[in-house]
Amino acid sequence: MASDAALRALNRFGLGARVGERARIGDARGWLRAQLQGAPPELAAPASAVPANIAAALRTLGMRAAYGEEERQQARRRLIGIADDESRAALTQRVASERPFVERLVAFWSNHLCVSAGAKRVVAPLAGGYERQVVRPHVLGRFEDMVLASARHPAMLFYLDNHQSIGPSSPAGTRTGRGVQRGLNENYARELLELHTLGVDGGYVQADVVELARILTGWTVAGLYGAGTRRPGRDDDAPGPLRFAFRPAQHEPGPKTLLGRRYPEAGVDEGEQAIRALCRHPSTATFVATKLVTHFVADQPPPAAVERVARVFRDSEGDLRAVSTALVELPEAWSEGARKFRTPQDWLVAALRALGVPGAGDNLARALRQLRHPLWSPAAPKGFGDTMQDWADPDALLNRAELARTLGRRIGGGGPDPRTLLDVVEAPAADAMRAMLADSTIAPAERIALAIAAPAFQWR
Amino acid sequence: MDRREFLKTMCSGGIATFGFPVVSFAQVRQSGRLVFVLLRGGFDGLAAVVPYGDPAYEGLRGPLAFQDGDLVPLTPIFGLAPGLAPLREFWDRGEMVALHAIAIPYRTRSHFDGQAILETGLDRPVGSSDGWLNRLLQIMPGERSGIAIASGMPRSMAGAHEVQTWSPTQLGAVTDEYLDRLAVLYRADGTLHNRFEAALQQQDLVGEEEMAGAGARRGGVTPLLKSAARILRQSTGPNVAAVEFSGWDTHANQGLGGGALDRLLGQLAEGLVAFRAEMQDAWADTTVVVMTEFGRTARPNGSRGTDHGTAGAGFLIGPKVARSAVLADWPGLGDSALYEGRDLRPTLDTRAVLKAAVAGTFDLTGAQADRIFPGSSGVRGRYELMR
Repeated sequence: MASDAALRALNRFGLGARVGERARIGDARGWLRAQLQGAPPELAAPASAVPANIAAALRTLGMRAAYGEEERQQARRRLIGIADDESRAALTQRVASERPFVERLVAFWSNHLCVSAGAKRVVAPLAGGYERQVVRPHVLGRFEDMVLASARHPAMLFYLDNHQSIGPSSPAGTRTGRGVQRGLNENYARELLELHTLGVDGGYVQADVVELARILTGWTVAGLYGAGTRRPGRDDDAPGPLRFAFRPAQHEPGPKTLLGRRYPEAGVDEGEQAIRALCRHPSTATFVATKLVTHFVADQPPPAAVERVARVFRDSEGDLRAVSTALVELPEAWSEGARKFRTPQDWLVAALRALGVPGAGDNLARALRQLRHPLWSPAAPKGFGDTMQDWADPDALLNRAELARTLGRRIGGGGPDPRTLLDVVEAPAADAMRAMLADSTIAPAERIALAIAAPAFQWR
Repeated sequence: MDRREFLKTMCSGGIATFGFPVVSFAQVRQSGRLVFVLLRGGFDGLAAVVPYGDPAYEGLRGPLAFQDGDLVPLTPIFGLAPGLAPLREFWDRGEMVALHAIAIPYRTRSHFDGQAILETGLDRPVGSSDGWLNRLLQIMPGERSGIAIASGMPRSMAGAHEVQTWSPTQLGAVTDEYLDRLAVLYRADGTLHNRFEAALQQQDLVGEEEMAGAGARRGGVTPLLKSAARILRQSTGPNVAAVEFSGWDTHANQGLGGGALDRLLGQLAEGLVAFRAEMQDAWADTTVVVMTEFGRTARPNGSRGTDHGTAGAGFLIGPKVARSAVLADWPGLGDSALYEGRDLRPTLDTRAVLKAAVAGTFDLTGAQADRIFPGSSGVRGRYELMR
């Protein structure tokens, strides 16, 4: 029984068991709680991801007149290289981590407050840095600090267009002259309410969306446009790393009212206060708890478990270390019947861990694209889905079978004895696998593929 | 035993002992084919079916207003955006209804709730988890089947009736022997077993050659719709298909003719024309419905884009359409006509059109159509749109 709890901890809360690992874990809950202690695991930036270089390459692409096609092509390749390096570094960390519970939490929050590399060219080279700078430092800290960091990060400001939302009555909004009157863009404000904090039924109306958009006008990005560019630089806009800037001239003046609370004119502080208030709203606790319980317990989250986690979230004012500990304590997460279908990223990372592969090779990103789950590239700001319904369609199972076979071929005779892979799946599910994995008339590489593609390996 | 042989054996009895029904495309299928094309992201209906004849149009749309000469005129009020020019082919054949000021019964402008309602066919974002296409399959008589040609199972197709999924992949690495062994392992999993069988059968239906060919052309709208046609046109092919394309959420720099949105519309229109050609004779009983979850703000936002709005546009295409027309109880674009002072006002319930599409394509009664869209009995089906 103890070893089953260890397997549950490794697969459900962690990123997949390695062969022999379950025997080394005596106290499954203690093993998880220990991972939550201390500072969150850092991840070094890849050598190529120098912030000033990213900004410079983006500027080159944005200045058609100033650079030749050759230079622009180079800049494009540099940005793609940075995005690839970032994704390889993050996946390697997931495959190799000794604190897999915390890495799972990083992936969860990164998806909750997602940006999408696929949506805009400018987001792709920033998405890795976004996870490192926004999610990692706060994954065991306070929820509102994570959301605020996200609100100020260039990746998010670009992704949901807040960088170009301008107060209609601000100096920038009322300036007459060439071109079109510029004004509000509601995109980020709406998703901040609907997807990051309160949830769609959390008690806001369209007027709140507009008010929050007004509050957040002036929250933008500096560093992209320097002197001599298509859009002349401002004093605070010298070329350099992309960085958060608050521009009072774009901020909508006057008081605003969000969810019945009045915010007197206070420049950048309005946004900070509003975001903190949204994060402390009871609807946010329920919304976030529902997502967490769905992720760690079941596609249909048990209401009692949701309420327990929501209470810890409320009582601790969004202390994510306390909230994560509460997840470990949920009896529902350990019950026999409960199980989660692995997402494609989970499945591939678990396969590499089970097979003892040390890190993420270049093929991993391609495999994740084929499985429709590339890193930091959801189709919409809601992030990737988290339930069986989202991932277990027939075509996807066939895709996994094919990738498992490719993986088996690549590992070939250098992999583990296929029979040892029974150690990473739950025993009742493994009965049908036992004979097949021991059948020496089947090539070892194919038996490895069968273990990874087997239905028992699709669950955590 | 090769896999086809193996599957035949399983289907002819072996499977019953496990208690899971196995889906297969029927030998004698119901006539009629319905293709639901979902444009995820809420596209700007005013930039697709352009109301250039509305006196308030130009002033309201400002930098996003088309000039008359750039449009493909359909009526004195409405014209198609330049990108949609290929759709003229359907219009001229009497096979296209452009729908305007259309909306699902939902007003809160969340993509995700909007899509949920459009796909479940309900009047609110929660309730049944079955999609309306799946409910259609449950209600239709005779041998019938459905397929999702999409990344994952769209909500519209999910539900109690088993459906297939297909997307272009490059399955070259596996042998029948390997898949047969895996099929044995999957038999032990009550939840996944059926889906794996469906996948194997789907692979047989489309054929290895087709898989490889489609894989090589992965990504584009036209290749995907042509592959869809090759699956649908088979004599034992599915009756109902869901296809989806994303990227229609244009908050900034939406553009005019040749702009970002118009390019997407162009790909869609080209894809639909290619689909019709690839369907060959099977086009005769096919209906295509093109929908999105909501329209966008009537005025441009501060970034030359548009934010989430309410009523939008859509299309009903196929030989079973009664005649080409623009169906719009036009609310107008004057300030006082706008919904909440900002969006095109909804005057047509999406379900009124979907009911007509299912009833006209599959000879269903109005009562059957009502059951596909629970809570919609007060919404009159626009059955006159179909032959």
